[in-house]
Amino acid sequence: MHALVQGIILGVLTAGVYALMASGQSLIFGVMRVVNMAQGAMVILGAYLSYQLFASLGIDPFLALPITTAVMFGVGVGVQLLFLRPLRDDDRSQLSVLATFAVALLIEGVMTVIWNTTDRSIDTGYANASWTVFGYEITLVRLWAFLLSLVALGLLYLILNRTRFGRAVRASVQNPESARLLGVEADRVAALGYGLGTATAAAAGAVYGMLYPFNPGSHYDLISRLLSIVLLGGLGSIGGAVVGALVISVSSAVVAAAVSPIWSQMTFFVVLLLVLVIRPRGLFGTTVRGGL
Amino acid sequence: MSKHNRLWHRSLTATVAALLAVGCASGGGSNGGGSTGPLVIGASVSLTGDFSDSGKAVQHGYQLWANMVNASGGILGRQIRLDIVDDASSPTQVVTNYQNLINKDHVDLTFGPFSTLLTIPASQVAKRYGYAFLAPAGGGPAVFQPNLHNFFFVQPAPTVQSGDVLVKYLLSLPADQRPTTAAYAELDDPFSAPLAEEIRQKLEAAGVRTVYKQVYPSETMDLSPIMGAIAALHPDLIVGGTQNEDSYNQVKSLVQLKYSPKFLFQSNGANSPLEFPDQVGAANTEGIMAPADWYPGSKATGSAAFTAAYIKAYGGTAQSVDDSSAEAYAVGQVLSEVANKTHKIDNDTIISTLHSGTWPTLLGNLSWSANGAPNGEFNLVQWQGGKLLPVYPPSIAQAKPEAPKPNWGG
Amino acid sequence: MSARRALGPARAIVFFGVLTALPSFDLAHWAMNMLVFTLMFAVMSSAWNLLGGFAGYPSLGHVAFFGIGAYTEVLWFAHHPITSGYEPFWLLPLIGIGVGLVGLPIAALAMRTRADVFAIVTITLLFVVQTLAFNLRGLTGGAQGASIAAAPFPAATYERPFYYVLTVLLAFAMGLTWLGMRSKVGLSLAAVRADEDKAAGIGVRVQAVKLLAFCVSVGLTGMVGAVWAYYEGFIYPQFAVDPLITVAIVLMTFLGGRATLWGPVIGAFILELAQQYLAYSLGGSKFYLIAYALVFLVVIVLLPRGIVPSIADRLRQRRRRRVVDAR
Repeated sequence: MHALVQGIILGVLTAGVYALMASGQSLIFGVMRVVNMAQGAMVILGAYLSYQLFASLGIDPFLALPITTAVMFGVGVGVQLLFLRPLRDDDRSQLSVLATFAVALLIEGVMTVIWNTTDRSIDTGYANASWTVFGYEITLVRLWAFLLSLVALGLLYLILNRTRFGRAVRASVQNPESARLLGVEADRVAALGYGLGTATAAAAGAVYGMLYPFNPGSHYDLISRLLSIVLLGGLGSIGGAVVGALVISVSSAVVAAAVSPIWSQMTFFVVLLLVLVIRPRGLFGTTVRGGL
Repeated sequence: MSKHNRLWHRSLTATVAALLAVGCASGGGSNGGGSTGPLVIGASVSLTGDFSDSGKAVQHGYQLWANMVNASGGILGRQIRLDIVDDASSPTQVVTNYQNLINKDHVDLTFGPFSTLLTIPASQVAKRYGYAFLAPAGGGPAVFQPNLHNFFFVQPAPTVQSGDVLVKYLLSLPADQRPTTAAYAELDDPFSAPLAEEIRQKLEAAGVRTVYKQVYPSETMDLSPIMGAIAALHPDLIVGGTQNEDSYNQVKSLVQLKYSPKFLFQSNGANSPLEFPDQVGAANTEGIMAPADWYPGSKATGSAAFTAAYIKAYGGTAQSVDDSSAEAYAVGQVLSEVANKTHKIDNDTIISTLHSGTWPTLLGNLSWSANGAPNGEFNLVQWQGGKLLPVYPPSIAQAKPEAPKPNWGG
Repeated sequence: MSARRALGPARAIVFFGVLTALPSFDLAHWAMNMLVFTLMFAVMSSAWNLLGGFAGYPSLGHVAFFGIGAYTEVLWFAHHPITSGYEPFWLLPLIGIGVGLVGLPIAALAMRTRADVFAIVTITLLFVVQTLAFNLRGLTGGAQGASIAAAPFPAATYERPFYYVLTVLLAFAMGLTWLGMRSKVGLSLAAVRADEDKAAGIGVRVQAVKLLAFCVSVGLTGMVGAVWAYYEGFIYPQFAVDPLITVAIVLMTFLGGRATLWGPVIGAFILELAQQYLAYSLGGSKFYLIAYALVFLVVIVLLPRGIVPSIADRLRQRRRRRVVDAR
């Protein structure tokens, strides 16, 4: 029982991090109808940026966020302009899956050149601190990570609901045609939307780097999870991404604690398949055919 | 569909021409034949992909040996030339690479790649063409199954048995100091879990009670649930069948959980002299044990010369030498000794000679069974005062084993 | 017109004639070895094309079936002897049918989704199969891997049996594609790709044709997996179910041209030969992955429809121009 509750606590805390990564992924899908295979690599890139700023300049990963977020936003816009905008319209959904996968490989290659394949981790002074609450261990860094994820998600929510840009984004998510008629510049929104989605990888990467060791190849593990989460929540729905992250993290943490860690990965996928059989559009999705 | 025939014909013709050209070229160019030309040794190592860091360490070891041999006049008067290619950690590429090395570049000898996962397909190719195959890494149990006569694993013992030294040490302790309970956290890969299982079976037979055992897959990023369950049971001994990342994670989790067992052994990761203290914090390393074949300050044959050459070439200190480089270097040492003993250097001689006798290397004295499995034993090393020191067996120990392990933070 | 119609078969005869004759030129082992791997990918790309190209269902999970084929082969011969060395090849048709049947319920489930959602579901499938290969230790050997006895073929002609079997498989895959393109099934698939709902509306048996495409496609892939396992001699979960194999297949098909007969084959010959050879001769460079990704991106951005359709377009334009000039 103790292990089970501990598992649930861990699952909820981890869910925050995944929700943050997945919200960026979902946003990109919503704006561009692009399944972004590069989001995992972006998160790892974010982790390396935080790592480098911490290792060479001693800037705490939390304090470095404005810098890393700005850089990641720039990377996102650049990728969109260079590789995604030129894609032909009639085939965009299939081609963009491949193009973003190639971008992921490209980023992996660049990271390998700069940082080698050695495992890195961001080891702040408080990384190993923990509290015991009613007999359950809660590590400080996990709690911080969880809170940061909530703050970042909140900011994202504000941007989408309280700014002009956010309204333009939401308009094009809901109905691209009428958005265009209302004077929303689709190209600009797409570039900025991709940038914003990528920018969430800065915060997610900082948190990820404090929790787990990472290397340039770590994005393969991440991307399948992220895709499962957004698919579960429903493509294009940020609220859905949060719920998807929660369902998947908690269920796999519980399986790891109650059954065995070797089956916990599988939980992800079984939950996902079950949901898709019952409801092919995901829990909160608005569209069946992703790449219409 | 049928309107682009001309291009199609042209590309087909070009492809065929290219293939034929390539095929013919291979018939001609040979560089290995003469006994006065350079001795060309081919090896495929992982310079990119999952195993690339260790792959590079292996390459360093080969290169250091070749440089030293060449500086002293070569083998039987022949200079060594290494032909090292990259397999990108892929089993398909490794087959292509050894095919190419043997049949296209006509190398005289082959050395092995880095991982067990690549060693098997590669050693089969070498066997087909009668090449001796000396592998410095990748000694999982499956490697010895095919009973290849040409295969030699150049380490003191098969990887699965590298934890046996821990069992010997623990059983050498007076009964009241031995652990009575043990927990096992094992990574699901070809060596780590089997290695820990071997320790478990031997310790259970000796009366050490197993209170917990868990196998976890390599993608497990979070080991805190497992370590939490272990900490709650308060075992005297924790055995980690670990690789790298998971070794650091296990220790970090235990530190966070504030549980320090009397004995903590990790099959890998903890024996990495630079990365381990960097990842878990130097103060937390004290008392942690690991197996090792080579260790800084080893007195084995050629170790001092190797260490000096390594530091000269790649900088750092003896503590920062990668043991994968030492293992690769040992492959070269074995080859040099075969040449010294038989005054010949060809695959048949190497294969027939190495199946008998013992061969002194910087990893200690090596000898092999018929299937290429080495017959020796690993050493036990322990972190003491921020350094990895050999502590068991007593014949090579540079310090007394520290037991029980002190609390976290030194 | 009739001359042009005869070109298709003529082309096929030349192509397979050359393939059949190549080994008798005493190609070096290393060249044969690269051709073996290239043929594997040519068969798999052709198979993928049936589903991803013609039916418009971009599967990213085909390697799951590659893995099932590989494990079936290895596990079967863990209990049955290999004497002549040809037994593993005789098992191939059974493996093809078996893998196709395993694919049937999976297809029925996965094909409830479409386009990119289908792509993600099939990725998921890939990880499920890989996890099973790791975890069903009693059956698969788990992370320890599983071995199959080395083929007792003489070293001098060791690769030939593998080569010829793969040539037959390629002929089979391309033959099926060719038949499909000329039959009602092909027409139905094109309708599914264009607009599945509308196709169903006008009475196309959507469910039947797309399931058929899926099963045939994965059955072929499973057979290649079996040959691969026998050739390598040893398999591990992470190599038998390697996402990068899927990526390579898809890239080859895209490079050559989706929904064409020759596109996937041309893509496979270009990419696999180039990759094996370049990795061997230039590998070790840290920039390898970057170069690979850039080539990938250039193909997608500049040649989105692949080599065969792009060239066909250009030729058609030139011919039209000539007609105009002649006027």
